[in-house]
Amino acid sequence: MSNESESTKTMTTGQLLTSYGEAIKAGLDNGYQYVKAFDQLNDTTDQAELLAAAVQLTNYQLNADFVVFPHQFSDEDVQLIFLERILQLANVGNSLQISNPDHVQKLLCKFAALGDQTFTFTKSTKNTTGFFFGPTDYNRPLFYLNLATKELLFHGASLIDYFVVDLQGTDVADLKATLQVLLKVAEILKEHFGFKIDFNVLDGINNEFYKFAAGDVSESIMDELFVKSADNQFILMADQNGGASLNLDHDIQLKVYNMGSADRPQWGASIHDPDQKESFVYLLLDYPFIQEWYLDNKKQLGILSNQLIFG
Amino acid sequence: MDRKTEEDQFSQNDAILSSALKQKMAYLNDLSESITKGNDLKVYELIDPNRFATEANGETLTETKPDHYGLASDLNAQLSHHLSDQLIDYLGKTYPFFYYHEYELGKFHIYFGNWWDHRLFGELDPINVRFNFSEEAYGMLAKSFQLELENKRVNDDEMRQLGEENEKLTQLIEDQDKRDQKKEAVRKQLKENEEKSPMPWEAGKVKEAHQQLTDALLELTNIDEQATNARPKIKENENKILALSKEETILNLEKQNIRASFGSFDAFNDSNDHLYAKYIQNLTAESQVKDDE
Repeated sequence: MSNESESTKTMTTGQLLTSYGEAIKAGLDNGYQYVKAFDQLNDTTDQAELLAAAVQLTNYQLNADFVVFPHQFSDEDVQLIFLERILQLANVGNSLQISNPDHVQKLLCKFAALGDQTFTFTKSTKNTTGFFFGPTDYNRPLFYLNLATKELLFHGASLIDYFVVDLQGTDVADLKATLQVLLKVAEILKEHFGFKIDFNVLDGINNEFYKFAAGDVSESIMDELFVKSADNQFILMADQNGGASLNLDHDIQLKVYNMGSADRPQWGASIHDPDQKESFVYLLLDYPFIQEWYLDNKKQLGILSNQLIFG
Repeated sequence: MDRKTEEDQFSQNDAILSSALKQKMAYLNDLSESITKGNDLKVYELIDPNRFATEANGETLTETKPDHYGLASDLNAQLSHHLSDQLIDYLGKTYPFFYYHEYELGKFHIYFGNWWDHRLFGELDPINVRFNFSEEAYGMLAKSFQLELENKRVNDDEMRQLGEENEKLTQLIEDQDKRDQKKEAVRKQLKENEEKSPMPWEAGKVKEAHQQLTDALLELTNIDEQATNARPKIKENENKILALSKEETILNLEKQNIRASFGSFDAFNDSNDHLYAKYIQNLTAESQVKDDE
């Protein structure tokens, strides 16, 4: 009895070294798996392998009790490397590039068309595998990316705040070129990886309904659009059910109407064009008077995004 | 009176009565038939034969024609509805900027334009082929055309006044810091004034200075109060300016449309005055085309 209890209390030197060795091996093996996944993230040309590597590396527990690695990439870095790689594989690698590869940790990227503006990912506090992508200088979550659940959601209000307000004065062609890269990312994820995408204000599909934050829209807001349109030689027309429509250049039509009921109004806008390319953000960039109208009344007109993710 | 004459008189009376009734029946038959056949030209003749002859066909009548419209006038609403169909087609071409809404059988509101917040401009009377414009709506348009000759707009004065008021109010808000400094200075002076123990012959002067300083302080706090209330007032004025510019935008569109279709306001008015004749002539021309076919 006493011998047995003795043996559970103390370990022989041999046993100690064995378990130490095993712990180190396990730690090294863990590090090896990590590096293997990183190589895969870096090298593979297979899209499924690329996604698998990124998912594996997100929230990877690299350090163990006996083996600690001082230089590690963050989960945010993994997302950014993934982003850069899918664009490379789609042969548009020039459009976005990681700008500080000499640093390990907290990688930043730049868009070819936006000069020195840097962007990075930030981890969501609500979803462990979710990340927000945005400019480093402003707190604007432009989109939410979750590789594990295969979701990409754009944030309408942030996209407008950043591309229309913060970057005011930048050449519209450069802004559109950058938005085009974001759309390309979404398109790749949708087409090749089967992601669920919420394009929000970047959606150019006709009849996409952009919901206004206030639900109801006061008559004076519509009057303002009417007056501003007329000042710019466009006529806001009365439409069915108290709504309005505005015919713009190139057969583009903006409609503003109530999708809800009289009791529970849900006003919003939709854009119609033959090419199904004009989105709400593009419209604001293309027509300064609509932009002015929107920004003057942002409290009511702010475009809603997924409140569960961004709220 | 002998019996024979009496009988003659009775039979003569019956003959007149019977002929008159036949005339009325013929009238109603004609009317009914014209409506079934869609012959609105004939309907208009039956509704007002005298106006039809003089105004539309330029005839000079030596005696007025018999008018039986009283027989059908209780069917005004239905008749009006019937006649509106072709009339609104015609007006669609000649007055492309008017839109009609039948708010009850045979009664039509006229809207000027189909733009945002278009104005209710009056009523259409299909029986008499007439626009009954709302005095207010028409009057404002007439005034706008009139003022345009002087390079002015209907709401210019009011808009300028509101704009100036807003500038002043904005200035009041911006000057708050300056006023705070002034108040500080005045309060300091007041304190100094109150600490003085003047010689009797100077007491009046010191008291007077005290009053002036108190007045100045009161004046400044009054302006402060105005500045505090300025923001809602500015917003209110902005809304008024917006409503007025909307009105101007609408008037502009109306004028543009009248010019596009008629060339001038006078030509538009002239066309309205001769609407009946023009429409009847148009129906006549159309019926001849039909006959030729």
